[in-house]
Amino acid sequence: MTRHSLSLLLRNEPGALARIVVLFSSRGVEVESLSLAPAERGDLSRLDVVVGLQQGRTVVQLIKQLGRVVDVKNVVDGTHDEALELGA
Amino acid sequence: MDTTGAGALIKALEDVGCEVIFGMPGGAILPAYDPLFDSKIRHVLVRHEQGAGHAAQGYAQATGRVGVCMATSGPGATNLVTPLADAYMDSVPIVAITGQVARSMIGTDAFQEADIRSITLPITKHSFQVHDPADIPRVIAEAFTLASSGRPGPVLVDLPKDVLATATTYTPPKITTPSRPVLSPVQIRNAAQLIGSSKRPVFYVGGGVIRSGAAQELRKLAEKTGIPVVTTLMARGAFPDSHPLHLGMPGMHGTVPAVAALQRADLLIALGTRFDDRVTGLLPEFAPHAAVIHADIDPAEISKNRKADVGIVGDCRDVMAALSAVITRKTDLTDWWNYLGGLLTTYPLGYDWPADGMLAPQYVIERISKLAGPEAIYTAGVGQHQMWAAQYVKYERPGSFINSGGAGTMGFAVPAAMGAQAGAPDRTVWAIDGDGCFQMTNQELATCAAEGIPIKVAIINNGNLGMVRQWQTLFYEGRYSNTRLGTHQRHPDFVKLADALGCVGLRCESQSEVDGVVLEAMAVHDRPVVVDFVVGQDAQVWPMVAAGTGNDEIMAARGIRPLFDEVE
Repeated sequence: MTRHSLSLLLRNEPGALARIVVLFSSRGVEVESLSLAPAERGDLSRLDVVVGLQQGRTVVQLIKQLGRVVDVKNVVDGTHDEALELGA
Repeated sequence: MDTTGAGALIKALEDVGCEVIFGMPGGAILPAYDPLFDSKIRHVLVRHEQGAGHAAQGYAQATGRVGVCMATSGPGATNLVTPLADAYMDSVPIVAITGQVARSMIGTDAFQEADIRSITLPITKHSFQVHDPADIPRVIAEAFTLASSGRPGPVLVDLPKDVLATATTYTPPKITTPSRPVLSPVQIRNAAQLIGSSKRPVFYVGGGVIRSGAAQELRKLAEKTGIPVVTTLMARGAFPDSHPLHLGMPGMHGTVPAVAALQRADLLIALGTRFDDRVTGLLPEFAPHAAVIHADIDPAEISKNRKADVGIVGDCRDVMAALSAVITRKTDLTDWWNYLGGLLTTYPLGYDWPADGMLAPQYVIERISKLAGPEAIYTAGVGQHQMWAAQYVKYERPGSFINSGGAGTMGFAVPAAMGAQAGAPDRTVWAIDGDGCFQMTNQELATCAAEGIPIKVAIINNGNLGMVRQWQTLFYEGRYSNTRLGTHQRHPDFVKLADALGCVGLRCESQSEVDGVVLEAMAVHDRPVVVDFVVGQDAQVWPMVAAGTGNDEIMAARGIRPLFDEVE
């Protein structure tokens, strides 16, 4: 099990948080802590989450899977400062 | 205020180019059906919403357009769950429109209320619930764009009944075409270099090549390089079966040459494919000597199961065009082709006739392929008949084989054929189905009969859940627990059932009748035809890589392991 802290920018759309949490659950990702707060831009929220990954699963893979979610605008791996910029 | 939410929905669907909806009305979606009555959009009234979903998938894959299905709230919507999961797995662009209880009732356990957005979260690319009727045109346009762009997939639009009923002003949606990913020139150069220096390369081609419409580019690139091609279950038809560079399908029931090509390769050029476990077998033993170039439009697929040495995010068509432009010469692959040619000669696909004198299922499918030809569309359910349809139908063009690959949904064939035929009325459409699968969704034949959708269904009736029985034979000491369906005892009688559903019902039990009955079925154009091909119950799908073993243990037939025994 490896631990990573991720920071996501989500669009403030109904179901956006649910989609992220379901993705974690579907992909066997453990959630150790999670907090959601309004971001600087009013139409976005910041989701900070600490996740545990099973052996053989990489955080890069998880970041790409999060990047597929339409309501995710940006994902930053706080552990390595690796960012997946998805544009505005 | 010139319309209602429902009017805006139908107008928006017309404006985004929807020509057919497969669906069934009910309470919450009822407002949408009123303007639909006056629309130029064709509505095919299904008998079960699952049929609507698979029909939308069949339509999408036969036409390359977005398929649309519609259902009411609650059970209507939950009946779409399987097609949505199927479309998600196989990257099929469909839009599902569901009714929902009125906004004020949401969350009160109202009659026919189901939280379909939450239920389908892990199996949709995206979903919407619209709360303002003015948003409907924009949401429909976005749903179509999302479903068909990037890696295609299913999108759900949930519409509360009162939103459909509320007055609004129609604003035509802006239809946007998202740009395709820009290829990395460095990765293209790296890929070209690897291809140039490899001695045993192979194109490992997946369904993405069909989705991106890249079959021509693939052929050009393959002919330019002389590199052998394997096409996965989802890619059958992406490269002509008659082409000398084609080694067939890899995977659990792939050909020996195709599996060997992957196992002995020094380079996999993986295009629009996701290293599915049915292709790789035991992952650590998959293609052990190969470097990997992996091109896919979905960055999350690259290095998911097998680490890519060169990962290219892009549309397969662009990737192959770029590779064609930089690859200038053929490498000498004589030794590689000598090896593969030997396997092609020694291990062609083949089958034995059943010892009990019954009809060989493979023969039936071979003859349908021969008589209907490559311009026909073939669909399949899931199981033995699906594998034989992948092996023994000869595909020459993309979109000619429509099946449930990733999800493995039994009952897919009939409704998918219905959708395919609605989208391609001038083509012959054959559903190759099993007797188990057929009993899951055959009610849609009543739809086909009523709607004038003259599909042909070949039931490969072996009396059993054949694939499960095969595993019981091989791995459970022949203990046939709950796999006998009684269909050889005519529970049901498929000919009578076909007749009752408004179809022509035919039966065939011997080799000498096969051609005649297939031609008889093909001569019927005014209604669907069902042929009950009564075949032996002991026929098995070979070659086979047993689950949990490495591809080197592929058995050409039971006990014959050509790669394992190979002396290198």
